[in-house]
Amino acid sequence: MSGLCSHALELTGLAGDPGSRVHRLDPRAKIVGLFSVTIIAVSTPLAHWPVYVCCVAVLATYAAAARVSPRAVWRRVRFILPLVLLVAVFVPFVRSGGDSWAFGPLTIHQAGLEVLGAVSAKALIGTVGAALLGATTTFPSVLRGLEAMRMPRLLVLIAAFMYRYLFVIVEEAGRMRAALVSRGYAPRNALQVGAMGRMASAMFLRTYSRGERVYHAMLARGYNGTMPQLHPLAFGRADAVFVAGVLAVTLSARIAGATA
Amino acid sequence: MYSLPIALHIPDGFLSNGVSAVLWVVAIVIIAYGLRVANVSLTEDRVPLLGVLAAFIFAGQMLNFPVAGGTSGHFLGAALAAVLLGPWIACIVTAVVIAVQAIAFADGGITVLGANIVNMGALGALLAGFLMVAALRVLPKTRGAFLGTVAVVAWTAVMVGAIATALQLAISGTVPLGTVLPAMVGVHALIGIGEAVITVAAVSAVLASRPDLIAIGDPERYAAGAPALAGEGAR
Repeated sequence: MSGLCSHALELTGLAGDPGSRVHRLDPRAKIVGLFSVTIIAVSTPLAHWPVYVCCVAVLATYAAAARVSPRAVWRRVRFILPLVLLVAVFVPFVRSGGDSWAFGPLTIHQAGLEVLGAVSAKALIGTVGAALLGATTTFPSVLRGLEAMRMPRLLVLIAAFMYRYLFVIVEEAGRMRAALVSRGYAPRNALQVGAMGRMASAMFLRTYSRGERVYHAMLARGYNGTMPQLHPLAFGRADAVFVAGVLAVTLSARIAGATA
Repeated sequence: MYSLPIALHIPDGFLSNGVSAVLWVVAIVIIAYGLRVANVSLTEDRVPLLGVLAAFIFAGQMLNFPVAGGTSGHFLGAALAAVLLGPWIACIVTAVVIAVQAIAFADGGITVLGANIVNMGALGALLAGFLMVAALRVLPKTRGAFLGTVAVVAWTAVMVGAIATALQLAISGTVPLGTVLPAMVGVHALIGIGEAVITVAAVSAVLASRPDLIAIGDPERYAAGAPALAGEGAR
């Protein structure tokens, strides 16, 4: 389905050793730990770049402990490259300030390079952090963690149903798209995409009736508004140590950078 | 053939801390109000439906189409969601889609999730929904006027999202406004045409087969006149 798909569905789900200590941590610990790494990195100005190094080191340790290979991480984060490239193409030339270097007709400015450096570092850390969360935590347990962290129940329920049927529906869209292509459909401009709209509505109506069927099937099996859980979440000592360790390392780097 | 997908998902670090924080607050306020509307107007049995519709929007965003010069845009679906679900519920559903893309697929940053929810979902859904309600009040109650309005609001929703993204990137100091605004507006004027064509085709097919599923306007009145072509087709 390459070329039709902006979200590569195979690039989700667990990676690494599913039995590792990291995989077995409480989802809340991993959500808090990884998202605080991202927040700390994003809030740091480029002048305190050692904080970025520290965040990368924390993420690398996390990945190594979970036995998630660099290759798996790269496959999940490489799609941000075009966006960083887009900034790289414009910013060093048009954003003036600081020293500048002339290359023929083009001038590179230091201020622009600084913006580029900060943006790439932060985008990398944020994307790797989210990719590692996805690689070490199943999406249903992320949702259970978020629910335990007081995320509104309606949002969690919608997300749960969405994820459960996502793959079915995306593959159905892929089949319908393949059917269009096999009949010679190759739009050359945005005015020729009406067939995709009719496809979208066929997909919508099928999805709608699927939703109704699913709900009635659930009622028939005794659904009463909550999903039964076999193993309740337990935030143990290992989880507390993990969160405390991550926060201690990154926050102390951040504070040392701010006061230096 | 490789084409560069133009995505509006902003990654972490592209927006300044202030801009990210403000847009988080805006997104939370919109979602909180949307949840209140949903709790009033939704019965429990609609929740699985909203979930599969969120999956539908996610799948709809796989619909890539060529724009110009080797770039492609993809369907966003905020306007379609607003027409089918009403503006507030559409906000919630698109917000869930964007949040799942960020959390499960690392697509779009966590610190800028508020911005992405506003730009790609809430702004478009609210604007499309309320523009349609306002326009349908003054326009003649015909099928043509209804579909014309759908086209205009779908294009507008994409443009407003793109302009908002460009402004946020410029205010954050990531890219100068003079560079980013013309680029975003130019590309999205074309993506918006694709969005409008897809949305109109989708809405007219739903009008023809299940007009009761359209949340805005008085669709039963102009349902007749087109052949039913969607529905439970070949399986």
